[in-house]
Amino acid sequence: MNQLTASAAIATGRVQLASVRQRSLVTAKVRVLVVAVGFIFLTLTALVRLTQLGLFEQAPDRRSLAEALLPPRGEITDRNGVPLARAFPSYSLWFNPKALGEGGNPLVKTPEEVARALVQIFPDADYKDLVERLKSGRGSYLRKRVLPEEANRVFALGEPALEFPRENQRYYPQGSLAANVLGYVDEEGQGHVGMEQVLEPRLLDPAQRGTPVALSLDSRAQGALEDELLRGMQESNAKGAAGIVLDVDSGEVVALASLPSFNPNRSDRAFNDLVFNRVSNQVYELGSTFKPITIAAAIDAGVVTDLSVRYPAGPLHIAGRTIHDSHNFGASLNVPEALIHSSNIVTAQVADKLGGPLLKRTMMALHMNQRPTIELPARGFPLWPHGENAAGDWSRITTMTVSYGHGIAVTPLHLACAYAALVNGGIWRPATLYKVDPAHVPAGTRVFKASTSARIRQLLRMIVADGTGRKADASGFRVGGKTGSAEKPGNGGYRKTSLVATFAAAFPMDKPRYVVIAMLDEPQGTAATSGQRTAAWNAAPIVGRVVPRIGPLLGVVPDASRDVDISDLSPLIGSGDGE
Amino acid sequence: MILSAQRLRSIGWLALLAVCGALVMILSFRVNALRSQVHRAEGQIVALKQQKMYLETEFETRANQQQLKAWNDLEFGYVAPVAGQYLENERQLAVLSKPAEPDAPAPIRVATVDDSVIAAAAFPALSGEHAGVRPLAETHEAERDGAGGDDGGAGKPRNRALDHAEATATLAEKLGTLHAPSASKAAHKRDGGDEKGEKRDKAPAKRVATVEKAKPQASRDTGAQTKAVAKSAKADKDDGKGKAKAKPAVKTAQKTAHTDRKTGVKTSR
Repeated sequence: MNQLTASAAIATGRVQLASVRQRSLVTAKVRVLVVAVGFIFLTLTALVRLTQLGLFEQAPDRRSLAEALLPPRGEITDRNGVPLARAFPSYSLWFNPKALGEGGNPLVKTPEEVARALVQIFPDADYKDLVERLKSGRGSYLRKRVLPEEANRVFALGEPALEFPRENQRYYPQGSLAANVLGYVDEEGQGHVGMEQVLEPRLLDPAQRGTPVALSLDSRAQGALEDELLRGMQESNAKGAAGIVLDVDSGEVVALASLPSFNPNRSDRAFNDLVFNRVSNQVYELGSTFKPITIAAAIDAGVVTDLSVRYPAGPLHIAGRTIHDSHNFGASLNVPEALIHSSNIVTAQVADKLGGPLLKRTMMALHMNQRPTIELPARGFPLWPHGENAAGDWSRITTMTVSYGHGIAVTPLHLACAYAALVNGGIWRPATLYKVDPAHVPAGTRVFKASTSARIRQLLRMIVADGTGRKADASGFRVGGKTGSAEKPGNGGYRKTSLVATFAAAFPMDKPRYVVIAMLDEPQGTAATSGQRTAAWNAAPIVGRVVPRIGPLLGVVPDASRDVDISDLSPLIGSGDGE
Repeated sequence: MILSAQRLRSIGWLALLAVCGALVMILSFRVNALRSQVHRAEGQIVALKQQKMYLETEFETRANQQQLKAWNDLEFGYVAPVAGQYLENERQLAVLSKPAEPDAPAPIRVATVDDSVIAAAAFPALSGEHAGVRPLAETHEAERDGAGGDDGGAGKPRNRALDHAEATATLAEKLGTLHAPSASKAAHKRDGGDEKGEKRDKAPAKRVATVEKAKPQASRDTGAQTKAVAKSAKADKDDGKGKAKAKPAVKTAQKTAHTDRKTGVKTSR
């Protein structure tokens, strides 16, 4: 530019010099103006943008707090808020062959070495399967769920191809606890078997899944029941065991266990025979545990008014069949003695006196002729005697066998609800797995009179204090109950060596709060059970151990100075023993 | 250049508008900044809640029922408490607090009397001074008494013993089996206060159960106790340190033992 100015000045002389100066000034001004306009434009743009950002623009992610915390599947807790099932982003172990770039070996060490190291960390892993996966060169899950410390150990192997993505999965912190109640969620996220299946719509509903669902279970009582059932099962070499703790006043199931159980955390292996729920799905002939129901029906109907009346106790021949007792209890027994010694003969006579229609009506009032009332999807249909004539009336022999729990097969849950009605003043209520608000307890239906219930409480307490249930007599807990050891039906009649041993109990008998049922499927006579396989030796001790563990947790304080008054019945009892 | 007043005014208005606009803008910026902060805080809350959930789940997993059972079987061996370990009320608790002394009469329950009557009369609930905790106001009162009276620290215990005697006398009236005169006699003796102080070790101090049995015995006990306290207070004064005047009554029992060592009176504690 200076060159241009100089050459122009030389060419046009002094006059032109002034105009050149003028022009240069104008040029300079124009340029300054252009720059200034540019700056102003930039400033204005920045200001506009700033205003826009400041006034209207929000932060990039505006997900609300509630939305961010909403789990993909709702949580299930026990009655005290202890989580039983929750959505949890747990680590999984993923093999990514492209982690070290395309081509070449995806692993630093050989696949065999890595697989060996992995087997050391996960002892249940299959070595051959791992080697195959690592050699295949395809990305795959080596393991679906990995604990943080296991992840650390795998990380320490120094293999970049082993990755730990966090994935939302269903997690059960208590492991196999209450597995039969909860069920499991498969890899597609669908609930199966238990409450996971029942509550599926509720657990997935965005409007409701933020609030946990409280079940009626108490995880501590559940743990105690499972422990003791497992111990009883192992001690008696039983094939399986079932147990239930039921609140007699609200029908809430406080604990429900079916053993052997499964681990819902391994959803890939969860679906097997063990998901079968013995409490709600399997029907059994529960034997002598039905006797108190028969006696209650007889007292209620006014058939048994005087408990001191004695009945002959010799073998009973009816319709070509003979009803026996396990032992000979002498020439005659009264009703309390019949219950204490568990006499089939006397119970059958009482039922005969009561008559089929009344016994049937009582059993129907106790819902023994329909599937158990509970939320679980798997509920067994009872084997209900349909009667010998078109009207469905029970014959004498049917009435008699039903009276002591044969010829009718129900689930342990049916029995628990019936016992709750026996001891709570006579009201039958459906069992429920939801926590019940004390103000909204279902009204239920009356099956027995309150006076009958009071009498049965005395009788049940006597069975534990003096009869076959002595091993269930937890000190201070005023347990009352009835044993039942029924032979399982097989080909061509009952099998003498395959029993179902049940103990149905309630405590405390002066004001019953909970029914406890313990059942063993095919227990064997072992040293631990003194060589016996009947309920008095295997099922009753389970209840005797469960009650002291759960009683204080459920608000029943042991007190040796309290008990139900049985002084009016005590004189009626002779001495003896039986099952 | 001279501007007209009107022009000046309009410039003023414009300036005011600009200032208000600037203020509004600043305010909006601040509001939005705060909103962003809130949002960031929300993000932190989400992260923390999730972290809490991880930790809680991990804790629940490690401390699940089966794990606890395994530890208990292996390490601790805890069992459920038995009936004898539960107490029904405060009286049962009080009974446990002191072992029976060799010649103490066995506790007797009066079968015909309503428990609440007895409790109201002589055995207040386990609180305040009976639980070994004195309300602050009472302590101050005791200090005042101790400092003011010539009889030193004995002032307050005497009142307390008197209350007790009155209470038992009331009880006697209510029960209709005990003799009120013996109570007043005991109270009188206490005032005279010059009996064998050494005997107080034999006297069961406030045996809840024995009072029901024998009223005269209880009265004598309280008399002896009070006298001993008085004596100990005096001994302290004699010691020349002038402690007794300033000592709060609450420390009397402790001081009694202390004094016994000095005065050579043999006391079993």
